[in-house]
Amino acid sequence: MNYKTILCDVLVVGAGGAGCRAAIEASRHNLDVIMLSKELLGKAHTAMAEGGYNVSLGNVDPDDNPETHFKDTITGGNFLNNQKLAEILVRDASERVFDLEEFGAVFDRTPEGKIAQRPFGKQSWRRTAYASDRTGSEIMVTLTEAIRKTSVRVFDEVFATKILLEGDRVAGVTAIDLKYGDYLVFRAKAVVMATGGAGRVYKVTSNAQLDVGDGYGMAFTAGCELVDMEMVQFHPTGMVKPESAKGRLVTEAVRGEGGILLNSEGERFMHRYYPEVMELAGRDQVSRSIMTEVLEGRGSPDDGVYLSISHLPRSIIEFRLESMIEQFEDAGVDIRDQPMQVSPTCHHFMGGIRINEESGTNIIGLYAAGECTGGVHGGNRLGGNALADTQVFGALAGENAAKFAKGHSHTGFDRDTVVREFEKLESMLERKEGISPADARAELTELMWEKVQIFRREEDIEYAVKELRRIEKEVVPNIKVDVQVKRFNPGWHQAIEFEHMVTTARMVAEAALMRKGSRGAHYRVDGDPNDKGYYNIVIRKGKDGEMELRKEDLVITSITPL
Amino acid sequence: MMTKTIKAKVFRYNPDLDNEPYFQDFDIEYESGMTVLDALLQIQDKYDSSLAFRWECRGGQCGSCAVKVNTIARIACRTKVDPNENLILEPLEKMPVIKDLVVDMAQTTFRLRRIRPYVARDKKPERPEIIYAEEIEKVREIRKCIECSACLSNCPIVHETWDYPGPMIIRQIARLELDPRDVEDRVALAMNESVYSCTTCKMCEDICPKKIKIPSLAVELLRAKAVEAGYPLAEGQQGFLDSINKTGRAVPEKDAPLLKDIETAEFLVDNPRGRVAFFTGCLIDYRMQNTGKALIEVLNRNGIDVIVPKEQWCCASPAFRTGDLHTAHAAAKRVTEIFEEAADKYNLDTVVVACAGCGKTLREDHRPFIEEGRGEPLKYEVYDLAEYMIQVIGKENIVPPKGEIKLKITYHEPCHLGRGQHVYDEPVELLKMIPGVKYIEDPYRNRCCGAGGGVRAGQRELSQKIANTKKEYIEATGAEMITTECPFCTIQITDILQETDIQTRYIPDLLAESYRKGDAK
Ligand SMILES: Cc1cc2nc3c(=O)[nH]c(=O)nc-3n(C[C@H](O)[C@H](O)[C@H](O)COP(=O)(O)OP(=O)(O)OC[C@H]3O[C@@H](n4cnc5c(N)ncnc54)[C@H](O)[C@@H]3O)c2cc1C
Ligand code: SF4
Ligand code: SF4
Ligand code: FES
Repeated sequence: MNYKTILCDVLVVGAGGAGCRAAIEASRHNLDVIMLSKELLGKAHTAMAEGGYNVSLGNVDPDDNPETHFKDTITGGNFLNNQKLAEILVRDASERVFDLEEFGAVFDRTPEGKIAQRPFGKQSWRRTAYASDRTGSEIMVTLTEAIRKTSVRVFDEVFATKILLEGDRVAGVTAIDLKYGDYLVFRAKAVVMATGGAGRVYKVTSNAQLDVGDGYGMAFTAGCELVDMEMVQFHPTGMVKPESAKGRLVTEAVRGEGGILLNSEGERFMHRYYPEVMELAGRDQVSRSIMTEVLEGRGSPDDGVYLSISHLPRSIIEFRLESMIEQFEDAGVDIRDQPMQVSPTCHHFMGGIRINEESGTNIIGLYAAGECTGGVHGGNRLGGNALADTQVFGALAGENAAKFAKGHSHTGFDRDTVVREFEKLESMLERKEGISPADARAELTELMWEKVQIFRREEDIEYAVKELRRIEKEVVPNIKVDVQVKRFNPGWHQAIEFEHMVTTARMVAEAALMRKGSRGAHYRVDGDPNDKGYYNIVIRKGKDGEMELRKEDLVITSITPL
Repeated sequence: MMTKTIKAKVFRYNPDLDNEPYFQDFDIEYESGMTVLDALLQIQDKYDSSLAFRWECRGGQCGSCAVKVNTIARIACRTKVDPNENLILEPLEKMPVIKDLVVDMAQTTFRLRRIRPYVARDKKPERPEIIYAEEIEKVREIRKCIECSACLSNCPIVHETWDYPGPMIIRQIARLELDPRDVEDRVALAMNESVYSCTTCKMCEDICPKKIKIPSLAVELLRAKAVEAGYPLAEGQQGFLDSINKTGRAVPEKDAPLLKDIETAEFLVDNPRGRVAFFTGCLIDYRMQNTGKALIEVLNRNGIDVIVPKEQWCCASPAFRTGDLHTAHAAAKRVTEIFEEAADKYNLDTVVVACAGCGKTLREDHRPFIEEGRGEPLKYEVYDLAEYMIQVIGKENIVPPKGEIKLKITYHEPCHLGRGQHVYDEPVELLKMIPGVKYIEDPYRNRCCGAGGGVRAGQRELSQKIANTKKEYIEATGAEMITTECPFCTIQITDILQETDIQTRYIPDLLAESYRKGDAK
């Protein structure tokens, strides 16, 4: 088995908001830094974020401060957040947004020339900094510009498949070069995982193609602890039509700017569910309200509800919601006059790799940041907190990985593991009989969408768990790529991703089964009222390779659950 | 409901295995609202999971998915499939193929890095940094770029040479020049990156998924800054400008100009159904007098009074294009004055132009400049001749030309007529009214001929290369005659077709010829 080995000091896996920020930070320490990503530089999922970045600058509402941001984040997270991490989030969000400006970001302004801020769901003040409704793009473009100024070596279109260990320390990753199909080993003194989320394990999602949960899968296999995996956020407003756009996000900024939700009877139904906050209730709350309307027969013809902004001044719509105009134009809807049809879509993974206050994991030398981590957002992420998360923890992970790399030399690595990994990848190409990645994927995403969704019940989750265990045993080892070519072969890429998707989906389902009561985004229709749910579920691989779940006490610094 | 099937011809190539690229046909089940990306995903799911193409966001946010769709590069996820047309999908141009529709971006990345594509600072900013909305208004527009590279693939200059880094990168230079925080000399950089190579053909703007006005917001802006900074224009370009300032015409007089040759300014008909003023432009006045007369004749025959203000002045398109805003603005004011006076005196509100460059300049450059300046709308609307005939006179009211012209004729769409004034099919409709004409559609009819943007005047060699590419397209149609509606294009195309048997004609001339032939019968 032929492979090439590439050495560096700090390896960053992922080039979204978190990965780029980590790489930039690490490169400031006179180290050789490599950043990997499955897509071309600048095209990561972060570019799709629309609404904004939460930071308690108080530019519009002067009474805002980090403490209130913290409180909102914890209440929003249904008290499940790791409060030490949430404290870091609110503490550093402002310095990191100024970093972005220093790199060249162009946020929208207040009349005083400061960063403008808009209201977002469940927040006490107008706190969300933005660049129209293309904030993620603005941040991604900025970070791309910044990366091009650094010495970071960009290896884009390189797919990491496995984390390599030497004892209890990280040694690097195995990877394939997507362009030419070569097998690569990256050896590093420290590694940062910044692999993003896994919305694509669900049939309907707002996420980019790359978000299949590689990071969760790889981390689990390597022995990382993962936390809160049952907490999957369904964004209340995804597109419904046309079929090919199903699930695409309709930013929360639409409601933030004053958009209202109507059912088929023209009723502003949020009155009946959350009259004080109406459309700006938590995402889980709005999602459930919409689903209830639909299930009770008051939905639109395509099983959604209507989101209308036709009462807003055109100038506001055109200046602050320009991407939405474009997005719906493609669907033949002029949102200045016509309502949008929306329904919930799988949006964000609150759970993920467990990190400490240094952004470190339980594996020595391995750090993680961004959506692939768990703990910051608890049971529910506030709109706008994820972008802040990528910058705050990206910088932290980059800095600490650099410090670690400075103090250590390269470890050795296990060639057998490497060869076995590449043989496994090769076997997908060589197999004569088996299941196609497209079919396997369709089965998995449909299963998750049907059984482990917004409203969850015991027998559904049980069924999903059983099925996922079967898929893991029967489908995963039998994935077969139909064309035996290594050079840019998407069929092969999907085949490799599939194992990670299954591991990720299993963690979601197994944790969902363990949590008997409703809490945060995890809503049990058959909820056990005695299960208040004030604990975190931690997952790791047991000695026998099986998935082990345990409940742990919440990490509390100042706010105790009511 | 019957499902509709369309054919997709997809470029396939694996350099490891294939000697050369080939096309593979697939049947696509059409669904309403389907995008090109949907079609590609369908092929991947149903027929061949190894078909290589890039995508991520499926919503025009990441810029991964640009491919050539029926000869023009666009992002696949926001390009609708036309159920009545077969699809031809090819990789972007100028970038080596890795596999199928996936190309190697290394050159682009290298070129981007070369311009130091980040805000350069000479000191740490204050925190918070105060920046006013007005300061970043223009940056905000130009910054929406998602680096899809579609514009690069379509740029006629990049097609000929990597000396020019292409619209996406020129845009990035302008983005930095416009950023009040950036301290580098981006104007010098733009000069070094051949900012004067762009013909302002607007192809980039037209296909940009973010509708970024690169020619005006980046190219012309950087040129204006260069002029302001004292960089001299090319000799050929400066000659035009001096001439405009002196005589109101960009070129020197040769034969008797049209405006002197015609005895009167008023060409009136009995029972007119409309009245227009004719803006001749420099070349019709000084070099194509017969075309001018033909235009007056064609309009008169259709019952339109034509007024030709004799003191009229150059629109100063060369000045707008090359960045001499002083000359440009002075001319805009003068032209406006002359034609508003004519509008008042003759009680008309329409100006007809038969030069694509002048028309675009009057509409896209003069109008906003004048209207913003005085806060009041212009007193006249500008129409291209073909547009006026089809849209205003109305196809059904046009007096049918009767003289037969038995020729296979194709059409070159001037950049500043199609993308510049959104006049696409009207000239062709006029052509098709002429008996005997067999119209041949050129799939590349809207590709730049290389004359515009001061490139013919300033960089003859480059202009020639673009023209030669254009020649290949024209020859491939098998037409005996190519028609167009712009004097610059006519001169350029006549030049390149010299050695061939293909004739070049101006549409009003051809129309007039048919009318006259019809009379003789
Ligand atoms: C439509 C949408 C809108 C959103 N809007 C907002 C908003 O307004 N405000 C907000 O705060 N949050 C928003 N979010 C959430 C936010 O965008 C994400 O949580 C955040 O961008 C995640 O950033 P990241 O850097 O962690 O990961 P990503 O940007 O997802 O990047 C992951 C990176 O990891 C790489 N990677 C993954 N697996 C591998 C592998 N195996 N090998 C190599 N590389 C790999 C990928 O290639 C990619 O470069 C939105 C999310 C969506 C879906
Ligand atoms: S206007 Fe035409 S020539 Fe100029 S950059 Fe755009 S595509 Fe290229
Ligand atoms: S300018 Fe427009 S077409 Fe060109 S790369 Fe940017 S987004 Fe794409
Ligand atoms: S897939 Fe992102 S722009 Fe088309």
